[in-house]
Amino acid sequence: MQSTSPIVFERVGLTYPTGVTALTDITLSIAPRSAVALVGPSGCGKTTLLRTIAGLEQVSTGTLTVAAGATRAMVFQSGLLFPWMSVADNISYGLMARGMPALQCRDRARHWAERMGLQRFVDAYPHQLSGGMQQRVGIARALAIEPDIVLFDEPFAALDAQTRLLMQELVCDLQRQGVCGTMVFVTHAIDEALIVADRIIVMSARPGRIIADVTPQLPDVPIAQKRALPAFTQAFADIWAQIRSEVELQMHEEVR
Amino acid sequence: MQQNRWLSWLSPLLLLVLWEGAVQAGILNRIFVPPPSEVVVALVDGLVDGSLVADVVVSSERIALGFLIGAIPATLLGIWSGLNRTVYYLVRPLATMLYPVPKIALLPLVIVVLGIGEVSKIATVAMSVFLMVVIHTIGGVMQVDRRYFEVGRLYGANQRTLFRTVALPASLPAIIEGWKLAMGFALTLIVGVEFVGASNGIGYRIWQSYELYAIADMMAAVCLIAALGWVLTVGLDEMERLLVPWRHTIKESRMPLVQKWWGAVRPWSYTAAIVPVLLGAAVAAHEVTLNWLWLALALVGSIAIQGGTNLMNDYYDYKKGTDTPAVKGTGGALLRGDMTPEQIFWAGIIAFAVGSAIGLYFVYATGPFILWLGLCSVAVGYFYTAGPFALAYVGLGELAVFIFMGPVMVLGSYYLQQPVIALPAIWAALPVSFVVAAILHANNLRDIDTDIINHKRTLATMLGRSGARVEFYVLVGGAFVSVLVLIALGLAPWPTLISFAMAPLAWRLMRTAATEEAAEKLHPVLRGSAVLHMRFGMLYVIGWVIALWV
Repeated sequence: MQSTSPIVFERVGLTYPTGVTALTDITLSIAPRSAVALVGPSGCGKTTLLRTIAGLEQVSTGTLTVAAGATRAMVFQSGLLFPWMSVADNISYGLMARGMPALQCRDRARHWAERMGLQRFVDAYPHQLSGGMQQRVGIARALAIEPDIVLFDEPFAALDAQTRLLMQELVCDLQRQGVCGTMVFVTHAIDEALIVADRIIVMSARPGRIIADVTPQLPDVPIAQKRALPAFTQAFADIWAQIRSEVELQMHEEVR
Repeated sequence: MQQNRWLSWLSPLLLLVLWEGAVQAGILNRIFVPPPSEVVVALVDGLVDGSLVADVVVSSERIALGFLIGAIPATLLGIWSGLNRTVYYLVRPLATMLYPVPKIALLPLVIVVLGIGEVSKIATVAMSVFLMVVIHTIGGVMQVDRRYFEVGRLYGANQRTLFRTVALPASLPAIIEGWKLAMGFALTLIVGVEFVGASNGIGYRIWQSYELYAIADMMAAVCLIAALGWVLTVGLDEMERLLVPWRHTIKESRMPLVQKWWGAVRPWSYTAAIVPVLLGAAVAAHEVTLNWLWLALALVGSIAIQGGTNLMNDYYDYKKGTDTPAVKGTGGALLRGDMTPEQIFWAGIIAFAVGSAIGLYFVYATGPFILWLGLCSVAVGYFYTAGPFALAYVGLGELAVFIFMGPVMVLGSYYLQQPVIALPAIWAALPVSFVVAAILHANNLRDIDTDIINHKRTLATMLGRSGARVEFYVLVGGAFVSVLVLIALGLAPWPTLISFAMAPLAWRLMRTAATEEAAEKLHPVLRGSAVLHMRFGMLYVIGWVIALWV
C-alpha cells in the first residue's frame, strides 16, 4: 500500500445537532499498517472518532481524510451479527453485498470460519453461540472483505476475563499475520490497549481531545509475559496518570 | 404413576361425565343443555351428511379470501411506510384512526355500499385484517435496530440488498405476529358477519340452530369453529417456523414433525389397544355383518386413549425427573429435547378428548352399557396405582390387566357390533388375557429385587422368585393351553391353532426367565413378552378371521 497515512484528522470537531460537542480539535495521522488504540474515560468520544473513520458520522469542522478507495470494516461492541443469518452468511455478508457469487461466498466463509476455529458452527445461528464465539464471527465478517482499515469498537468489553485474554491473543495473531491492515482499536482498558496496539492515543473527557500520544516500544512476546514486563507496567502507570483526572472529571460531570 | 397425573387429565373428562350424568339424571334440562354425547352425535351427523363440512368450507373460503386480500397489500404497504417517512405520514395516522373502530359496526355500511352478497362479507374481513397487519408491519419495521442498517451499509449493501437482507428478515417476526392476530380477528368477525344476512357458513349454522332451538347442533358448530381456529393457529405457527427459522434451534427445525411425534406417541406400543378391539370384531363377524365405521372408530378411540396415556406418562415422568434415557429406551421425546413439555401435555389432552368423544358417541348410539364399561375401566385405571388400595401394590395388578385388557375390551368391541353381553366373546378373550398379563408380570419379575427393597407388593414379590417364575410359565403357557381348551370346547375355531407359530418364542422367553436373575438379563423377557402379545394376538385374531371361510 501507499506510504502516506491512510487516515488523517486535521483540527476535526464534531457537534451533534442536539448541541452536544463530542470532539474538538482532533489532529491525528495514523501510519499505514499500524495498530492504534484509543483510550479514555467513557463517553469521551472515542467511539465517535471511530465512527467518523467508518463514515457513519460526518465531522462538523476541520477535515478528515481517509485514503481514496480504502475498504473499511468494523467490529462492533455487541457483535451486531445478523440474528437471521447463519454464521457462514454473516461472515460472507460483506462479500455478498459487494456482489460475490453465492458459491464463492460460501467458500470464503468456510475459510474464515476455519481460521477462527468456527468450522463446527458454520450452519449455526448467532444466538446458539457463546459471546466469545459470536465476536469471532464479527471479526471474521470484518476480515473476510480483506479490508485496508479495520475498526474495533470495544469488541471484548462484554466478555468474561478469560475469554477476553483469548480474544486479545487472537487479535495479536491476526495482526502478526498482516490481515488487519491499519487497525484502530477503541477500548477503555489500558492493558488491552497496550497488548493489541503499538501506539496509544489518550483522550480527554467530553468534549474529546487528544491529551497524550504514547508509543511504548514493547517487545513482541506472548501476552502473559508482556503484561509482566517493567516497560508494560511503566506505560500503564503513565497512561493511567494521564487519564485519572479526566475520569474524575467525568464522574463529577455525571453527578451534576 | 402418581395421583396428580391422573387428576390433570381427569378433570376435563370428569366435567364431561358430570355434565352427561346431570342431563341423563334429569338435573339439567336436555332442551337447554344437551349432554356431550348428543353434541358428539350432532357433530358426527353433520360431518357425515356433509352439511357441517359445507359450512366449514364456506366460512374457510371467506376467511382465506378476506385474509389474503387484506394481508398481502397491508404487508407491502406496511413495509413501505416503515422505510419511507413520506408514506409513513400518509398511512400511519389514517390506520391508527380507523383501527379502534369495531369492524362489525361497519358491516351495515359495507352492505349498503357492496350489497348483501359474498363481497360484503369478504370485504369486512379484509378490512379488519388490512388494518391489523398494516399497523403491526409498520411497528415491526420501525422497531428494527437501526444499527443493523448501519452494519449493512458499512459492509457495502445498497438499498435493495439492505431491504432483502436486513429490513425484511428483521421485521418478519413482528409481521407474522400481526398475521396471527389478524387471523384471530378474521375468525371472530366471520361468525358475526354470518349471523346476519348469510345463508350458509358456520356463523349462519350457529344462529340458525339458535332459532330452531337445536342447541346440540349449535354446540357442534361451535366445536367446529374452535377446531378451525386451532388448525389455522397451528398452520401459522408452522409457517413461522419455516419463515423465521433463526428463532428456533437448528435441531428443532431439522427434525421433521412426523418423526418427532412418531417418537413421542410410540404407535408400536399399541398392540394392547388394537388386538382386543380386532378380536371382539372378529368374534362378532361370525354372527353379524360388521359395521366397519364403528370398528374403525373403536380402533381410533382405543389408540387415542393408549396414546394419551403414553404422552401423559412421558409428561409426568419428565416433570418428576424420574425418566432417564436408560430407564426408558423407547420414549423420551422430551429427554431428547425434540419437544416441549407443554406440547406433550396438550397432545395428551387432545388424545384423551378424541378417545372420550368417540366413547360418548358409542354411549349415545348403543346405550349405557358402554358407559359402564368405560367408567369401570377409568376407575380401575385410576385405582391401579393410586388411592389406599392401589391394585398394583396388593398383588392384583395381573388380575386387573387380565380382566380389563382382555374380556372387557373384547366384549366392548363385540358389543358395538352386536349389542348382546355374550359369554363366547368373554371366553374367546382368554388367550389374549394370559399374554397381556404375562407382559406385566415380566415387568414385575424383572424388578422383583428392587420392589422387595421398596416394599412394593406385587404378586411376584409375594410369591418369591421361584413362585414368580412358575407364575410366568402359567401365564405364557396358559395362553397356548387356553387356545387348545377353547377349540376342544367348541368356543374357538380350529384355525386359531395358527397362533402356535409363536410357541418357539414363548419357549425361549420361559427358558430365559427360568435361568436369569439379573434385571438387565430379564429385560429382554419383558420386551419379548410384548412382542409375543402382538404376534400371538394377531395370529389368534387371524385364526378367527380365517374361520369365517373354512
